[in-house]
Amino acid sequence: MSAPLPTEAANRPAPLPRSRGGDGAPALPATRVVPDWVWGMLLVMPALAMVALFFLYPLGLSAVSAFQGRDGGWTLANVVKAFELYSLDMAFTLAIVLLSSALVAVLSVAIGGYLTLGENRLAVTLLRWLYRWPLFIPFIVAAQMMRSFLAKNGLMNNLLIGSGVIEPLQAASLLDWRGVVVTFVWKQTPFVALMVAGAMASLDRSTIEAARDLGAGRLRILAEIVVPQIRPTLTVGLILSFVTMLSVMSVPMMINPNSPTMITVDMAYRINAHGDYGVANALGFVSYAMAGLVGWFYLRHGVRQGGAR
Amino acid sequence: MAELHVENLTVAYGGSRVLNGVSLHVRPGEFVALLGSSGCGKTTLLRAVSGFVPVDGGRIAIAGRDVTRAPPERRDTAMVFQSYALWPHMTTAQNIGYGLKLRRWPRQRIAERVAEMLRLLKLDGLADRNVTQLSGGQRQRVALGRALAINPDILLLDEPLSNLDARIRLELRHEIRALQQRLGITAVHVTHDREEAMVMADRIVILNAGSIAQIGTPEEIYRRPASAFVASFLGADNVVPLQATRTERTLEIAAGPDHGAVSLPLGNAGAQVELIGSGPVAAHFRTESVRLATAGQAPADALVLRGHITQTAYPGGRWRYGVAVGGTVFLVDDDERRMVGDAVAIVIPPSALHCFPLRREAAGTA
Repeated sequence: MSAPLPTEAANRPAPLPRSRGGDGAPALPATRVVPDWVWGMLLVMPALAMVALFFLYPLGLSAVSAFQGRDGGWTLANVVKAFELYSLDMAFTLAIVLLSSALVAVLSVAIGGYLTLGENRLAVTLLRWLYRWPLFIPFIVAAQMMRSFLAKNGLMNNLLIGSGVIEPLQAASLLDWRGVVVTFVWKQTPFVALMVAGAMASLDRSTIEAARDLGAGRLRILAEIVVPQIRPTLTVGLILSFVTMLSVMSVPMMINPNSPTMITVDMAYRINAHGDYGVANALGFVSYAMAGLVGWFYLRHGVRQGGAR
Repeated sequence: MAELHVENLTVAYGGSRVLNGVSLHVRPGEFVALLGSSGCGKTTLLRAVSGFVPVDGGRIAIAGRDVTRAPPERRDTAMVFQSYALWPHMTTAQNIGYGLKLRRWPRQRIAERVAEMLRLLKLDGLADRNVTQLSGGQRQRVALGRALAINPDILLLDEPLSNLDARIRLELRHEIRALQQRLGITAVHVTHDREEAMVMADRIVILNAGSIAQIGTPEEIYRRPASAFVASFLGADNVVPLQATRTERTLEIAAGPDHGAVSLPLGNAGAQVELIGSGPVAAHFRTESVRLATAGQAPADALVLRGHITQTAYPGGRWRYGVAVGGTVFLVDDDERRMVGDAVAIVIPPSALHCFPLRREAAGTA
């Protein structure tokens, strides 16, 4: 019981003179009129306002108006009509974008893989230089290029006929769903390949050498050692690509305007021909649902990645 | 168990030569350490053997088969990397079993072999653990298991212990050596750690600037370094210039400003002298193989350098002193406690002396 006494004695006298000595001093904490969190809010306000004004508000408005009739009342009529008229196009859109994403995955892994594991210096340099070009070409220009390349009397068929691979009678136009897929893949592969090649380049080289040393060939190394290690990057690239392709209107409009077509074309038609914002917004809502689904994957993945690091 | 022949190997990176005609024969079941400072070409030699570095000239044969131009996957070698190089997306068992999977072993046999490796490397119970959850020592054991599982002709170890902390390093050193002897596997080990090479290897290859400076057992290279470089590299880095004459049985050292004239015996128990006739020599000696005497009490059968203490330290066991002789400070270990400023004599017994002729160009490296 005697032990605490000296410490108490040592501690107590010190604060006393301090509080008495400076009568003005205790007022110091009270001068902080504005709490910290207010400053924080003020700092984040401009950015938050931008997001709210230019993203959340239009998005919310469009989502809400998908469920409003022309008289302003709540209704499911737009959604029902959208599904009645365009359910085939919705399936078509999903199929095209999924197929394109799958092809983009294969090609970008092939390009990244060759850049990482290729041994022909010249080929690697040439590929590294060439593969990014489509990144700088807008969708609408790409679509126009493909129209002249894939048409029945287009450049591709002329080349094939000229080189004797096909007979002139066999020449067929690819300007249908195949043209859309080709254009999407041509345009999006460089984007995903850029991400994938970067991730592959930053891998610990010795993990590749260890596999080679044990006797693995290059294809096996790509499939079993490299791709599993860069899978998060590949997934992110594909999801971003999926969402981009989902929102492109120029390509299906120029290459494949006939039914079935992609819902972006339908949305434009509803607005331009009928002034029907309700059904257009309902179609937009379906589009968000598709994008939202992969967005959910993305976030789940991102969170898991963040947790692992 | 296989032998490795390297003949007159030349490797260059972008015009600059990294290996200059290196020849080496590793006998079946032998453990050879490639020792040298960074940039000497030791890792390049190892990577040339494994096939990751293209060869400009010469020949490499493993188990009698010429593999000079064969890609890494066609050589029956297995490498253990400094960075472990484990595959983070696989478990311990999958890492160890991957080489066997490539060899199309049936699943059951792979599982048995992996279990055997886990037992051998004291990794029991970690089979299903992701390798990213293992400690450094455990990871390097997994890497070793992965290499040994395929029973390679030659085990290549590329500074496998450099990333580990000191205690684990000492432990793993002995484990690797014991495993290698037990399995009778031929091994080539790259290191810059002198003690590691001495403790682990049957023979040590000392590389300097892309050439072999000396090959020998640890005792040979320690007691009879072939050049001033090897002597310095192996710790005999106290160097004193002397005027000496070699006779049939003795080395006659002329008196200098800080030492008297003395006649020392040659041979196994005597001084090592790589000199013909007479001339200036660089005499190398080790910190731990000499002792100090109080000035004026030095014996007559040793080379004695007069100086005074400028520094003291206690690294454990014995005292370590910086002794200034003329303009040079030598590091010397001694049992007695002495003070800075004490006048002392460094007593260098004949067996501690390694003398190399001092040529003008050699003066810089010595």
